[in-house]
Amino acid sequence: MIKPMHAIQIFVIVGLITLVGNWVGMDQINPIDAAMGMLILLVLVFIGWWLSQALPINLPPIVFVSILGILATTPWTPGSAWILSHTGNISFLATTTPVLAFAGISIGKDLDKFMELGWRIIVVALVVFTGTFLGSAVIAQVMLRLTGQI
Amino acid sequence: MAENEVVERQFTHNWKLYGIVLVLTIIGELIGVRSFRVGPGTALLLPMLYALVIGMFLGPRFIKIASERDMSDASPLIVLSVLILVAKLGTTIGPNIPQLIGAGPALLMQEFGNLGTLILAMPVAVLLGFKREAIGATFSNAREGALAIIGDVYGLDSPEGRGVLGVYICGTLFGAIYNGIMSGFVASLNVFHPMAIGMASGVGSASMMSAAGGAAAAALPESADLVLTFAAASNLVTSATGLYMMIFIGIPLANFYLRVLTGGRE
Repeated sequence: MIKPMHAIQIFVIVGLITLVGNWVGMDQINPIDAAMGMLILLVLVFIGWWLSQALPINLPPIVFVSILGILATTPWTPGSAWILSHTGNISFLATTTPVLAFAGISIGKDLDKFMELGWRIIVVALVVFTGTFLGSAVIAQVMLRLTGQI
Repeated sequence: MAENEVVERQFTHNWKLYGIVLVLTIIGELIGVRSFRVGPGTALLLPMLYALVIGMFLGPRFIKIASERDMSDASPLIVLSVLILVAKLGTTIGPNIPQLIGAGPALLMQEFGNLGTLILAMPVAVLLGFKREAIGATFSNAREGALAIIGDVYGLDSPEGRGVLGVYICGTLFGAIYNGIMSGFVASLNVFHPMAIGMASGVGSASMMSAAGGAAAAALPESADLVLTFAAASNLVTSATGLYMMIFIGIPLANFYLRVLTGGRE
Protein backbone atom coordinates (compact mmCIF):
# COMPACT_ATOMS: atom_id res chain seq x y z
CA MET A 1 0.00 0.00 0.00
CA ILE A 2 1.32 3.41 -0.93
CA LYS A 3 0.64 6.27 1.46
CA PRO A 4 -1.28 9.23 -0.01
CA MET A 5 1.63 11.54 0.79
CA HIS A 6 4.04 9.37 -1.18
CA ALA A 7 1.60 9.05 -4.07
CA ILE A 8 1.25 12.85 -4.20
CA GLN A 9 5.02 13.19 -4.15
CA ILE A 10 5.39 10.83 -7.13
CA PHE A 11 2.56 12.52 -9.06
CA VAL A 12 4.14 15.95 -8.52
CA ILE A 13 7.65 14.78 -9.54
CA VAL A 14 6.38 13.06 -12.69
CA GLY A 15 4.20 16.11 -13.36
CA LEU A 16 7.27 18.34 -13.19
CA ILE A 17 9.25 16.01 -15.49
CA THR A 18 6.30 16.09 -17.93
CA LEU A 19 6.29 19.90 -17.82
CA VAL A 20 9.98 19.95 -18.74
CA GLY A 21 9.34 17.54 -21.64
CA ASN A 22 6.35 19.66 -22.69
CA TRP A 23 8.71 22.66 -22.75
CA VAL A 24 11.72 21.28 -24.63
CA GLY A 25 9.48 19.18 -26.92
CA MET A 26 7.58 19.88 -30.11
CA ASP A 27 5.13 22.49 -28.82
CA GLN A 28 7.65 24.30 -26.57
CA ILE A 29 5.09 25.41 -24.00
CA ASN A 30 6.56 27.42 -21.14
CA PRO A 31 6.12 25.50 -17.84
CA ILE A 32 4.63 28.59 -16.20
CA ASP A 33 1.86 28.71 -18.83
CA ALA A 34 1.30 24.97 -18.53
CA ALA A 35 1.44 24.83 -14.71
CA MET A 36 -2.29 25.29 -14.15
CA GLY A 37 -3.10 22.60 -16.72
CA MET A 38 -0.77 20.18 -14.96
CA LEU A 39 -2.23 21.08 -11.58
CA ILE A 40 -5.72 20.23 -12.91
CA LEU A 41 -4.47 16.87 -14.27
CA LEU A 42 -2.73 16.11 -10.97
CA VAL A 43 -5.92 16.84 -9.01
CA LEU A 44 -7.85 14.44 -11.29
CA VAL A 45 -5.07 11.87 -10.89
CA PHE A 46 -5.00 12.11 -7.12
CA ILE A 47 -8.78 11.94 -6.67
CA GLY A 48 -9.00 8.99 -9.07
CA TRP A 49 -6.13 7.17 -7.38
CA TRP A 50 -7.60 7.85 -3.95
CA LEU A 51 -11.04 6.57 -5.04
CA SER A 52 -9.50 3.33 -6.31
CA GLN A 53 -7.86 2.81 -2.90
CA ALA A 54 -10.77 3.97 -0.74
CA LEU A 55 -13.75 2.41 -2.50
CA PRO A 56 -14.54 -1.24 -1.79
CA ILE A 57 -14.76 -1.97 -5.56
CA ASN A 58 -11.60 -3.54 -6.93
CA LEU A 59 -10.97 -1.50 -10.09
CA PRO A 60 -7.64 -0.12 -11.31
CA PRO A 61 -7.04 3.62 -10.78
CA ILE A 62 -6.99 4.21 -14.56
CA VAL A 63 -10.75 3.55 -14.69
CA PHE A 64 -11.46 6.27 -12.11
CA VAL A 65 -8.94 8.74 -13.48
CA SER A 66 -10.19 8.41 -17.07
CA ILE A 67 -13.83 8.78 -16.03
CA LEU A 68 -12.99 11.87 -13.96
CA GLY A 69 -11.09 13.34 -16.93
CA ILE A 70 -14.10 12.76 -19.20
CA LEU A 71 -16.64 14.10 -16.67
CA ALA A 72 -14.55 17.23 -16.05
CA THR A 73 -14.53 18.16 -19.73
CA THR A 74 -17.95 17.29 -21.23
CA PRO A 75 -19.66 20.33 -22.79
CA TRP A 76 -22.30 20.08 -20.06
CA THR A 77 -19.78 20.34 -17.22
CA PRO A 78 -19.72 23.85 -15.75
CA GLY A 79 -16.26 25.32 -16.22
CA SER A 80 -15.15 22.68 -18.74
CA ALA A 81 -14.05 25.39 -21.19
CA TRP A 82 -11.73 26.83 -18.53
CA ILE A 83 -10.34 23.38 -17.72
CA LEU A 84 -9.73 22.62 -21.41
CA SER A 85 -8.06 25.98 -21.99
CA HIS A 86 -5.47 24.94 -19.40
CA THR A 87 -5.12 21.18 -20.03
CA GLY A 88 -4.73 22.08 -23.71
CA ASN A 89 -1.29 23.42 -22.77
CA ILE A 90 -0.12 19.90 -21.93
CA SER A 91 0.52 17.92 -25.09
CA PHE A 92 -0.61 14.29 -25.03
CA LEU A 93 2.72 13.12 -26.41
CA ALA A 94 4.55 14.89 -23.57
CA THR A 95 2.60 12.83 -21.02
CA THR A 96 3.71 9.59 -22.68
CA THR A 97 7.50 10.14 -22.63
CA PRO A 98 8.30 9.84 -18.87
CA VAL A 99 6.02 6.80 -18.55
CA LEU A 100 7.83 4.95 -21.31
CA ALA A 101 11.16 6.02 -19.81
CA PHE A 102 10.18 4.25 -16.58
CA ALA A 103 8.98 1.31 -18.67
CA GLY A 104 12.26 1.11 -20.59
CA ILE A 105 14.37 1.17 -17.42
CA SER A 106 12.21 -1.50 -15.85
CA ILE A 107 12.36 -3.78 -18.92
CA GLY A 108 16.14 -3.44 -18.84
CA LYS A 109 16.33 -6.20 -16.29
CA ASP A 110 14.49 -8.64 -18.57
CA LEU A 111 16.14 -7.56 -21.78
CA ASP A 112 17.19 -11.13 -22.65
CA LYS A 113 13.65 -12.38 -22.32
CA PHE A 114 12.45 -9.40 -24.33
CA MET A 115 14.88 -10.11 -27.16
CA GLU A 116 13.68 -13.71 -27.23
CA LEU A 117 10.34 -12.41 -28.54
CA GLY A 118 12.27 -11.58 -31.73
CA TRP A 119 10.72 -12.04 -35.15
CA ARG A 120 7.80 -14.02 -33.69
CA ILE A 121 6.38 -10.86 -32.07
CA ILE A 122 6.44 -9.12 -35.46
CA VAL A 123 4.30 -11.91 -36.93
CA VAL A 124 1.89 -11.68 -33.99
CA ALA A 125 1.73 -7.87 -34.33
CA LEU A 126 0.77 -8.11 -38.02
CA VAL A 127 -1.99 -10.62 -37.21
CA VAL A 128 -3.14 -8.33 -34.35
CA PHE A 129 -3.52 -5.35 -36.69
CA THR A 130 -5.26 -7.48 -39.32
CA GLY A 131 -7.65 -8.95 -36.73
CA THR A 132 -8.58 -5.55 -35.33
CA PHE A 133 -9.36 -4.20 -38.78
CA LEU A 134 -11.25 -7.18 -40.16
CA GLY A 135 -13.17 -7.79 -36.91
CA SER A 136 -14.46 -4.22 -36.89
CA ALA A 137 -15.25 -4.28 -40.62
CA VAL A 138 -17.28 -7.50 -40.33
CA ILE A 139 -19.33 -6.34 -37.34
CA ALA A 140 -19.86 -2.87 -38.83
CA GLN A 141 -21.08 -4.44 -42.07
CA VAL A 142 -23.49 -6.76 -40.25
CA MET A 143 -24.79 -3.98 -37.99
CA LEU A 144 -25.33 -1.60 -40.92
CA ARG A 145 -27.32 -4.35 -42.68
CA LEU A 146 -29.35 -5.18 -39.60
CA THR A 147 -30.23 -1.54 -38.93
CA GLY A 148 -31.16 -1.08 -42.60
CA GLN A 149 -28.51 1.56 -43.34
CA ILE A 150 -27.14 -0.24 -46.39
CA MET B 1 4.29 -3.09 8.30
CA ALA B 2 7.65 -1.61 9.29
CA GLU B 3 9.27 -3.68 6.57
CA ASN B 4 6.76 -2.47 4.00
CA GLU B 5 7.62 1.07 4.97
CA VAL B 6 11.28 0.52 4.16
CA VAL B 7 10.48 -1.00 0.77
CA GLU B 8 8.13 1.89 0.02
CA ARG B 9 10.70 4.55 1.00
CA GLN B 10 13.13 2.97 -1.38
CA PHE B 11 11.04 3.21 -4.49
CA THR B 12 9.34 6.50 -3.79
CA HIS B 13 12.58 8.23 -2.77
CA ASN B 14 14.89 7.01 -5.51
CA TRP B 15 16.01 10.46 -6.67
CA LYS B 16 18.61 9.08 -9.05
CA LEU B 17 15.84 7.22 -10.91
CA TYR B 18 13.77 10.40 -11.25
CA GLY B 19 16.90 12.11 -12.54
CA ILE B 20 17.44 9.41 -15.18
CA VAL B 21 13.80 9.67 -16.30
CA LEU B 22 14.10 13.46 -16.53
CA VAL B 23 17.18 13.13 -18.74
CA LEU B 24 15.54 10.44 -20.93
CA THR B 25 12.48 12.67 -21.30
CA ILE B 26 14.59 15.65 -22.33
CA ILE B 27 16.62 13.58 -24.81
CA GLY B 28 13.46 12.04 -26.27
CA GLU B 29 11.69 15.39 -26.64
CA LEU B 30 14.76 17.07 -28.12
CA ILE B 31 15.04 14.41 -30.83
CA GLY B 32 11.32 15.01 -31.38
CA VAL B 33 8.80 13.46 -33.74
CA ARG B 34 10.34 12.11 -36.93
CA SER B 35 8.22 10.83 -39.75
CA PHE B 36 9.10 9.30 -43.06
CA ARG B 37 6.96 7.98 -45.88
CA VAL B 38 6.99 4.29 -46.67
CA GLY B 39 4.76 3.22 -49.55
CA PRO B 40 1.19 4.35 -48.91
CA GLY B 41 1.76 5.12 -45.22
CA THR B 42 3.95 7.09 -42.88
CA ALA B 43 6.26 5.70 -40.22
CA LEU B 44 6.34 7.79 -37.06
CA LEU B 45 9.13 7.82 -34.50
CA LEU B 46 7.97 9.46 -31.27
CA PRO B 47 9.85 10.82 -28.22
CA MET B 48 8.40 8.06 -26.04
CA LEU B 49 9.93 5.43 -28.30
CA TYR B 50 13.44 6.88 -27.90
CA ALA B 51 12.96 7.12 -24.12
CA LEU B 52 11.80 3.50 -24.03
CA VAL B 53 14.61 2.11 -26.14
CA ILE B 54 17.42 4.10 -24.47
CA GLY B 55 15.94 3.20 -21.06
CA MET B 56 16.13 -0.50 -21.94
CA PHE B 57 19.90 -0.34 -22.38
CA LEU B 58 20.77 1.63 -19.21
CA GLY B 59 21.17 -1.51 -17.10
CA PRO B 60 24.37 -2.98 -15.63
CA ARG B 61 25.03 -5.13 -18.69
CA PHE B 62 25.07 -2.24 -21.14
CA ILE B 63 25.45 1.47 -20.35
CA LYS B 64 25.67 0.77 -16.58
CA ILE B 65 23.76 3.86 -15.46
CA ALA B 66 20.73 2.17 -13.89
CA SER B 67 21.40 -0.31 -11.07
CA GLU B 68 19.37 -3.47 -10.41
CA ARG B 69 17.56 -1.46 -7.74
CA ASP B 70 16.71 1.39 -10.11
CA MET B 71 15.30 -1.12 -12.58
CA SER B 72 13.05 -2.78 -10.02
CA ASP B 73 12.01 0.58 -8.49
CA ALA B 74 10.93 1.77 -11.94
CA SER B 75 8.27 -0.92 -12.22
CA PRO B 76 5.74 0.35 -9.61
CA LEU B 77 6.37 3.91 -10.79
CA ILE B 78 5.02 3.09 -14.28
CA VAL B 79 1.61 2.36 -12.81
CA LEU B 80 1.50 5.67 -10.94
CA SER B 81 3.06 7.89 -13.60
CA VAL B 82 0.74 6.57 -16.31
CA LEU B 83 -2.20 8.15 -14.47
CA ILE B 84 -1.21 11.62 -15.72
CA LEU B 85 -1.36 10.29 -19.30
CA VAL B 86 -4.76 8.73 -18.58
CA ALA B 87 -6.12 11.99 -17.10
CA LYS B 88 -4.98 13.88 -20.21
CA LEU B 89 -6.61 11.22 -22.41
CA GLY B 90 -9.87 11.69 -20.46
CA THR B 91 -9.83 15.44 -21.06
CA THR B 92 -9.47 14.89 -24.80
CA ILE B 93 -12.47 12.53 -24.87
CA GLY B 94 -14.87 14.63 -22.74
CA PRO B 95 -15.48 17.44 -25.28
CA ASN B 96 -16.39 14.87 -27.97
CA ILE B 97 -19.01 13.01 -25.94
CA PRO B 98 -21.97 14.60 -27.85
CA GLN B 99 -20.64 13.45 -31.25
CA LEU B 100 -20.07 9.98 -29.84
CA ILE B 101 -23.62 9.75 -28.57
CA GLY B 102 -24.86 10.93 -31.96
CA ALA B 103 -22.76 8.43 -33.85
CA GLY B 104 -25.19 5.60 -33.33
CA PRO B 105 -25.37 1.95 -32.39
CA ALA B 106 -23.43 0.54 -35.36
CA LEU B 107 -20.46 2.60 -34.33
CA LEU B 108 -20.67 1.33 -30.76
CA MET B 109 -21.22 -2.30 -31.72
CA GLN B 110 -18.25 -2.45 -34.06
CA GLU B 111 -16.01 -1.80 -31.07
CA PHE B 112 -16.57 -5.46 -30.30
CA GLY B 113 -14.86 -6.06 -33.61
CA ASN B 114 -11.62 -5.19 -31.89
CA LEU B 115 -11.98 -8.57 -30.25
CA GLY B 116 -11.23 -9.99 -33.70
CA THR B 117 -7.69 -9.16 -32.67
CA LEU B 118 -7.83 -11.80 -29.98
CA ILE B 119 -9.66 -14.44 -31.99
CA LEU B 120 -7.19 -14.35 -34.89
CA ALA B 121 -3.95 -13.49 -33.15
CA MET B 122 -4.01 -15.63 -30.00
CA PRO B 123 -3.79 -18.98 -31.87
CA VAL B 124 -0.92 -17.62 -33.95
CA ALA B 125 0.89 -16.47 -30.81
CA VAL B 126 0.38 -19.85 -29.15
CA LEU B 127 1.58 -21.70 -32.26
CA LEU B 128 4.72 -19.54 -32.26
CA GLY B 129 5.41 -20.71 -28.73
CA PHE B 130 4.30 -17.72 -26.68
CA LYS B 131 2.82 -18.41 -23.28
CA ARG B 132 1.68 -15.62 -20.92
CA GLU B 133 3.22 -13.14 -23.39
CA ALA B 134 0.30 -13.99 -25.71
CA ILE B 135 -2.14 -12.30 -23.31
CA GLY B 136 -0.43 -8.93 -23.53
CA ALA B 137 0.34 -9.30 -27.22
CA THR B 138 -3.15 -10.16 -28.46
CA PHE B 139 -5.80 -8.79 -26.04
CA SER B 140 -5.92 -5.48 -27.93
CA ASN B 141 -4.04 -3.66 -30.65
CA ALA B 142 -1.55 -2.49 -28.00
CA ARG B 143 -1.72 1.28 -27.99
CA GLU B 144 -0.97 3.52 -24.99
CA GLY B 145 -4.13 2.58 -23.07
CA ALA B 146 -3.24 -1.10 -23.37
CA LEU B 147 0.20 -0.44 -21.88
CA ALA B 148 -1.46 1.35 -18.96
CA ILE B 149 -3.82 -1.56 -18.33
CA ILE B 150 -1.26 -4.36 -18.59
CA GLY B 151 1.12 -2.28 -16.44
CA ASP B 152 -1.63 -1.99 -13.88
CA VAL B 153 -2.81 -5.59 -13.89
CA TYR B 154 0.42 -7.57 -14.46
CA GLY B 155 3.28 -5.03 -14.47
CA LEU B 156 5.19 -4.17 -17.64
CA ASP B 157 8.14 -6.33 -16.54
CA SER B 158 5.94 -9.46 -16.53
CA PRO B 159 5.57 -11.85 -19.50
CA GLU B 160 2.25 -10.15 -20.29
CA GLY B 161 4.06 -6.80 -20.18
CA ARG B 162 6.73 -7.98 -22.63
CA GLY B 163 3.99 -9.15 -24.99
CA VAL B 164 2.13 -5.85 -25.02
CA LEU B 165 5.35 -3.83 -25.31
CA GLY B 166 6.54 -5.98 -28.21
CA VAL B 167 3.37 -5.37 -30.22
CA TYR B 168 3.34 -1.74 -29.10
CA ILE B 169 6.84 -1.21 -30.50
CA CYS B 170 5.93 -2.96 -33.76
CA GLY B 171 2.79 -0.79 -33.97
CA THR B 172 4.75 2.40 -33.42
CA LEU B 173 7.33 1.43 -36.00
CA PHE B 174 5.22 0.06 -38.81
CA GLY B 175 1.57 -0.01 -37.60
CA ALA B 176 0.60 2.97 -39.73
CA ILE B 177 2.28 1.58 -42.84
CA TYR B 178 0.77 -1.86 -42.44
CA ASN B 179 -2.73 -0.55 -41.66
CA GLY B 180 -2.51 1.71 -44.70
CA ILE B 181 -1.57 -1.12 -47.05
CA MET B 182 -4.13 -3.52 -45.57
CA SER B 183 -7.08 -1.13 -45.52
CA GLY B 184 -6.44 0.07 -49.07
CA PHE B 185 -6.31 -3.54 -50.16
CA VAL B 186 -9.44 -4.66 -48.27
CA ALA B 187 -11.35 -1.59 -49.49
CA SER B 188 -10.44 -2.38 -53.10
CA LEU B 189 -11.99 -5.86 -52.76
CA ASN B 190 -15.46 -4.21 -52.57
CA VAL B 191 -16.65 -6.78 -50.05
CA PHE B 192 -17.40 -4.21 -47.36
CA HIS B 193 -19.49 -1.05 -47.53
CA PRO B 194 -17.38 2.16 -47.40
CA MET B 195 -18.99 3.04 -44.05
CA ALA B 196 -17.84 -0.31 -42.63
CA ILE B 197 -14.33 0.21 -44.01
CA GLY B 198 -14.31 3.67 -42.45
CA MET B 199 -15.34 2.35 -39.05
CA ALA B 200 -12.75 -0.41 -39.24
CA SER B 201 -10.06 2.21 -39.94
CA GLY B 202 -10.62 3.88 -36.57
CA VAL B 203 -8.52 1.61 -34.39
CA GLY B 204 -7.79 4.05 -31.57
CA SER B 205 -4.49 5.39 -32.83
CA ALA B 206 -4.40 8.66 -34.72
CA SER B 207 -1.52 7.65 -36.98
CA MET B 208 -2.98 4.23 -37.81
CA MET B 209 -6.41 5.76 -38.40
CA SER B 210 -4.96 8.41 -40.71
CA ALA B 211 -3.04 5.81 -42.70
CA ALA B 212 -5.89 3.29 -42.89
CA GLY B 213 -8.59 5.90 -43.54
CA GLY B 214 -6.42 7.75 -46.05
CA ALA B 215 -5.57 4.61 -48.00
CA ALA B 216 -9.18 3.37 -48.01
CA ALA B 217 -10.41 6.81 -49.11
CA ALA B 218 -7.89 6.72 -51.94
CA ALA B 219 -9.08 3.25 -52.93
CA LEU B 220 -12.74 4.34 -52.90
CA PRO B 221 -12.57 7.89 -54.31
CA GLU B 222 -16.35 8.29 -54.79
CA SER B 223 -16.93 7.57 -51.06
CA ALA B 224 -13.80 9.24 -49.69
CA ASP B 225 -15.60 11.64 -47.33
CA LEU B 226 -17.84 8.90 -45.99
CA VAL B 227 -14.82 6.71 -45.23
CA LEU B 228 -12.92 9.49 -43.48
CA THR B 229 -15.91 10.68 -41.43
CA PHE B 230 -16.59 7.22 -40.09
CA ALA B 231 -12.89 6.56 -39.55
CA ALA B 232 -12.61 9.66 -37.34
CA ALA B 233 -15.83 8.91 -35.45
CA SER B 234 -14.86 5.29 -34.87
CA ASN B 235 -11.40 6.31 -33.70
CA LEU B 236 -13.05 8.60 -31.17
CA VAL B 237 -15.38 5.85 -29.94
CA THR B 238 -12.44 3.46 -29.68
CA SER B 239 -10.42 5.91 -27.62
CA ALA B 240 -13.43 6.51 -25.36
CA THR B 241 -14.56 2.92 -24.87
CA GLY B 242 -11.29 1.09 -25.54
CA LEU B 243 -10.04 1.18 -21.95
CA TYR B 244 -13.21 -0.35 -20.57
CA MET B 245 -13.45 -2.83 -23.44
CA MET B 246 -9.94 -4.05 -22.66
CA ILE B 247 -10.35 -4.21 -18.88
CA PHE B 248 -13.77 -5.84 -18.71
CA ILE B 249 -13.75 -7.98 -21.87
CA GLY B 250 -10.29 -8.11 -23.45
CA ILE B 251 -8.20 -9.34 -20.52
CA PRO B 252 -10.69 -11.87 -19.05
CA LEU B 253 -11.41 -13.25 -22.53
CA ALA B 254 -7.70 -13.46 -23.38
CA ASN B 255 -7.05 -15.47 -20.21
CA PHE B 256 -9.96 -17.80 -20.93
CA TYR B 257 -8.95 -18.25 -24.58
CA LEU B 258 -5.33 -18.99 -23.68
CA ARG B 259 -6.46 -21.66 -21.22
CA VAL B 260 -8.68 -23.23 -23.88
CA LEU B 261 -5.97 -23.18 -26.56
CA THR B 262 -3.30 -24.63 -24.30
CA GLY B 263 -5.60 -27.16 -22.68
CA GLY B 264 -5.42 -25.41 -19.31
CA ARG B 265 -1.63 -25.49 -19.05
CA GLU B 266 -1.22 -21.70 -18.99
